[in-house]
Amino acid sequence: MDSNYLLARAKDEDLLKKGECGGAVSSIFQYLLDSNLVDGVLNLSHGEDIYDGVPTLIEDSKDLVQTCGSLHCAPTMFGDLIRKYLQDMNLAVAVKPCDAMAIKELEKRHQIDSDKIYKVGLNCGGTVLPITALKMIELFYEVDPDDVVKEEIDKGKFIIELADGSHKSIEIDELEEKGYGRRVNCQRCELMIPRNADIACGNWGAEPGWTFIEIVTEKGREIVENAHKNGYLEVKTPPEKLVNIREKIEGVMIKMARKFQDKYLEEEYPSLENWDEYWNRCIECYACRDVCPLCYCRECDLEREYYSDSGETAPDPLTFQGVRLSHMSFSCVNCGQCEDVCPMEIPVARIYHRMQKKYREQTGFIAGMSEELPPLFSPEKE
Amino acid sequence: MKLTHTICPSCSVGCGINLITQKQEAVGTYPYKRYPINEGKSCKKGRECYGMITEEKRLLNPHIKKTSLVGSNWDESLNLAVSKIKSYEPEEIGIIGSGNCTNEECEILKKFATSLGAENIGYPAGNFPNFDFETGNLNDVENSQFILITGNVLKEYPLIGRKIILAKENGAEIITIDYPQKTTTGMISDQYIQTESIRQFLDDEAEKIQTKLNESSLILVSKLDNKEELEEFHQMAAKSNSKIIPIMKECNSRGAMNILPPLSEDELKTMINGMNLLYIVGDDLASQLGETLKKVDFLITQSTTLNQTALLSDVVFPSACWVEKTGSFTNITGNTQKVQQILPPPGEAMDDATIIMKIAEKMEIDL
Repeated sequence: MDSNYLLARAKDEDLLKKGECGGAVSSIFQYLLDSNLVDGVLNLSHGEDIYDGVPTLIEDSKDLVQTCGSLHCAPTMFGDLIRKYLQDMNLAVAVKPCDAMAIKELEKRHQIDSDKIYKVGLNCGGTVLPITALKMIELFYEVDPDDVVKEEIDKGKFIIELADGSHKSIEIDELEEKGYGRRVNCQRCELMIPRNADIACGNWGAEPGWTFIEIVTEKGREIVENAHKNGYLEVKTPPEKLVNIREKIEGVMIKMARKFQDKYLEEEYPSLENWDEYWNRCIECYACRDVCPLCYCRECDLEREYYSDSGETAPDPLTFQGVRLSHMSFSCVNCGQCEDVCPMEIPVARIYHRMQKKYREQTGFIAGMSEELPPLFSPEKE
Repeated sequence: MKLTHTICPSCSVGCGINLITQKQEAVGTYPYKRYPINEGKSCKKGRECYGMITEEKRLLNPHIKKTSLVGSNWDESLNLAVSKIKSYEPEEIGIIGSGNCTNEECEILKKFATSLGAENIGYPAGNFPNFDFETGNLNDVENSQFILITGNVLKEYPLIGRKIILAKENGAEIITIDYPQKTTTGMISDQYIQTESIRQFLDDEAEKIQTKLNESSLILVSKLDNKEELEEFHQMAAKSNSKIIPIMKECNSRGAMNILPPLSEDELKTMINGMNLLYIVGDDLASQLGETLKKVDFLITQSTTLNQTALLSDVVFPSACWVEKTGSFTNITGNTQKVQQILPPPGEAMDDATIIMKIAEKMEIDL
């Protein structure tokens, strides 16, 4: 296994059948659990249907089958779950690029112990909010969302599979022009292959029934090699043609993401009047702060007496969003959770993502990717 | 660590949340984005609702009053409560449920009262009366072109507030009526009618607003000074084919209303003043009616915590929180949602229905 690129699939028949792209990711988890290298695996499982992704901790490899298959309508975040509840565990976790970015920032700040965690990265072209998916499938596909057994994003299309095995697909561009499709944060995201994890897995450049794996770290190489050696994983070297295809797909998607960054962060960036209107809606519920994987201070400045308002009207944006901006925007990984959970529909992530981009231009610091802490980072908050 | 879907018990909107548990203990909440009502968005109360389960003052065993309230056991406390209930005439006994009780608990409490022959029964409903007119749904809020609001809905019921914001983004006109103090809802409105009382609005300005209402309008009533006022708002809606949604406080206010008589603070006071024994299930009445409660001879309470009402009581039964039992809540738009048991009740606590049945059994009442 000299190359950093390989194709892999499960040896276990059940995982081979039920896992996505031959179940390589599930097999690696199976190996890690069976050999007691980890106490648990954090991944997603279906809740009530394919639009309901529920973070699930698996502690017995027999249960891994629950987490087989990918879900594109589950914009979850694992960073804070690990920090708050799973710190004591040796853990393997399936990470989207934004999860990996959040985890990386938390590792640098000693909130997650990097020695205790294996990050199995999943390539991601973006996620769709579940309720948006339901509406979109009814409206554009003219299908009852309950009849959909599987969904996927491939070759620029959102594809649904029905119980009778038939497929329907629509160009994502077309859906997004009409305000559906992927979350706007995902549209802007330029990290599709999580090279900030230990390995990055996906179907780009893979043969059908196989997973394309890029090995990123030594730890990543070890787990893939040992899963193979111990009979969990079948591997082969991908032909160069496939490596190039994968690279090409990534390139196209990054280009698209940059166009969306220009659109949302410059051309259609809210005016000052718009922001005034947005801030007036704020009910000071702290949802944006509480969901932010990077906000972990035990004593939050926002709750200091000298910043507190009457409570009946919106807080002063300078001492609320402004304080958040100065505390975390340089580290914003554009996961979009703050916008997802804001009850007042304030597009908060736009201001933070825009600021991180400017910070990156000035300092070279890329949140979620750079190995060092951001310049001017104040360790006091820990 | 495990995440389980549940319904938020903090208000009447009925949002979905994921409860995070670890080793059979509630430790947090996580956004439930698949849930149609709130799509993973929750207010502060919603995100922190697991605190009700882990609350320091949770009651773990029955208590009875000797010189002060002391720990007891189920046998002793049930025997004391039952002997006292038996010693009074049904006319001397008042029974008070709560908008926080499940539909099933309200039903069983009503059955108990009926079997006992106690006619003084109800639940604290603030200024909201019983009504049976059809109400709008949450999509109606988002799709309205004109919304008339009473109260600070954005702040108090943020996930309906969100629908108001979405309507506004679609071009809807918003008018809010509230007391003179500035509110977030008032500030985002096109017109903010600051009034001394809802009555004053109805007398002086309702007629003018009536001309703006039509079939694509909606009235959201979250604040009333008086229960008669709701019917006037309903008339405004009926005359114009507008939709209307009264927003009551508790997670099952609307469900309780269909089973138990809603009582205003004055009605509660009057009722309690005539009673010698009061049996309160699930409500912390002492926070508003402490002095009135002190006059009652004998007070039996079912409560999850050692709250003000429990402290005034002669017998206190420890009860289960919403995720420690199975049942259903009916939200403001009439949507009945199931809640499943996720955790066992702490200590010796039991769910309200079981406690009511235990009392009934000892009284040889068949429920």
